[in-house]
Amino acid sequence: MIQFDQVSKHYAGGHEALSQLSFTVPTGEMAFVTGHSGAGKSTLLKLLGVIERPSHGTITVDGQNLAKLRRRGIPRLRQRIGMVFQNHRLLMDRTVFANVELPLTIAGIAQQERGRRVRAALEKVGLLSYERQLPATLSTGEQQRVGIARAIVARPSLLIADEPTGNLDPQLALEIMGLFAEFQQVGTTVLIASHDLPLIKRMRKRVVVLDHGRLVADLAAEEVL
Amino acid sequence: MNTDNVASVRNDPGRSRSLSSWREHHAWSAADSLRRLAARPLGSLLTIAVMGLALALPLAFYLLLGNVQQMGRALGQDQAINVFLQANQGESQAQLLAKQVGERPDVASVTIKTPQQGLDELAKLQGFSGALDALDQNPLPYVLMVQPRPGLDAPAVGRLVNDLHDMRSVAQVQDSGTWRQRLDALLGVGERVVLALALMLALAALLVVGNAVRVDIASRSEEIAVLLLVGASGAFVRRPYLYAGIWYGLFSGMLAALLALAIEFALSGPVAQLSQAYDGKLQLGGLPLWLLAAVPLAAAVLGWLGARLVSAWQLRKAV
Repeated sequence: MIQFDQVSKHYAGGHEALSQLSFTVPTGEMAFVTGHSGAGKSTLLKLLGVIERPSHGTITVDGQNLAKLRRRGIPRLRQRIGMVFQNHRLLMDRTVFANVELPLTIAGIAQQERGRRVRAALEKVGLLSYERQLPATLSTGEQQRVGIARAIVARPSLLIADEPTGNLDPQLALEIMGLFAEFQQVGTTVLIASHDLPLIKRMRKRVVVLDHGRLVADLAAEEVL
Repeated sequence: MNTDNVASVRNDPGRSRSLSSWREHHAWSAADSLRRLAARPLGSLLTIAVMGLALALPLAFYLLLGNVQQMGRALGQDQAINVFLQANQGESQAQLLAKQVGERPDVASVTIKTPQQGLDELAKLQGFSGALDALDQNPLPYVLMVQPRPGLDAPAVGRLVNDLHDMRSVAQVQDSGTWRQRLDALLGVGERVVLALALMLALAALLVVGNAVRVDIASRSEEIAVLLLVGASGAFVRRPYLYAGIWYGLFSGMLAALLALAIEFALSGPVAQLSQAYDGKLQLGGLPLWLLAAVPLAAAVLGWLGARLVSAWQLRKAV
């Protein structure tokens, strides 16, 4: 479960990215965070990944207060969170297999088990036959799917994605969102930052709307038109 | 896209963390860091060359100092005080004086060198034989070679020399231990200089490795950020850079040992000539094998330390 309680984030220079934000995402729910550019979507995800720390308030992930998390505890937390980025953030000098394998190597999973899980994740995103290729030889959509495979391979309890379909055509974007929905169905909590309103409407999931860092709407799936 | 095995991906058995996996990552880091070094041969070779030269310098000085020490020992084995009697003193007076001196508690032994023995010694030295042939009589006096008691300190030797000088029938006292003391003092200074130089150059080697690792980390900032975002610990990210430091150190240490051996080889000819000039009394030595083996290992530790310090500082700024 994710819980934001009166969370604010101020950057140097006085810019307030988030202001007294409070909402809860129960375990196994899929929710979208949307809003205009600069609304605070990316900041919200950065706070969840402890890439940034809140200026005020409390963020709790599966009962763990991130504000009290010490620096050495961050890697363990991140191993429980799958992150998908708009620009994929793949290692371009390593193969697709090696990129997806990375979280498992970090987690200390044995080699044989790693191979099995990586192939399962690649099969899941439809890229099993690309395992020996370098990311540069793949299309943008394929690279994004490699990023998703890397995010899910360690079976995180929470999956967060920052504009995961930003560079994709509508059909591919829908397929990617379908993948996220499937992971939600097996108990993973999924939080996606996106400004693609037509896509969000088609997914029919909960939507948290931000405006200048403030929560302006929190719509249940059935309220999304 | 295949969508039928989501549950299998999500519900597989738990992680099997193991020591073998940790060892596997160490092996991978060691091999990967070596590949990275090989991928930019010029930069790596320059770093290794600079470090190797920095480490070879103290080795060369150590070699030089060791040989000067050995030379001092070989030439200064005889620390006797030479007491030259007046020219008109005969054998009986020399024996009487030797007995008196030998009874002193600060004297270990006294040996008499006759004028003929002195002349024979002189004749052996190069360039003197012709001059000695021209003499119609032996001008050399009796000499008492006084060996001070072992362990006598410098002031006590000084007092002994003064007492000998004040004795009747004595023309001159020559303390051959004085130059040895001066040499020892100079060698003591030399040892300190070599130690200071070794420390400074080790620091320089540390900085060279540190800078190489800093550049490597800076060029891989994106990769490091990704590793940290997917849950890598600082130790995991640092590992390949620490191995890079170890490789830099190990290879530069080996280069330094090879350079030192080359210097030793280059010196062997002149040293042999010098030894010959002293009737083979000089046996100058090379660098001990343990030192040649220890240098690459110590350099590897130095490389690791440089990489450790810089990577810890650099990665603190990462995500």
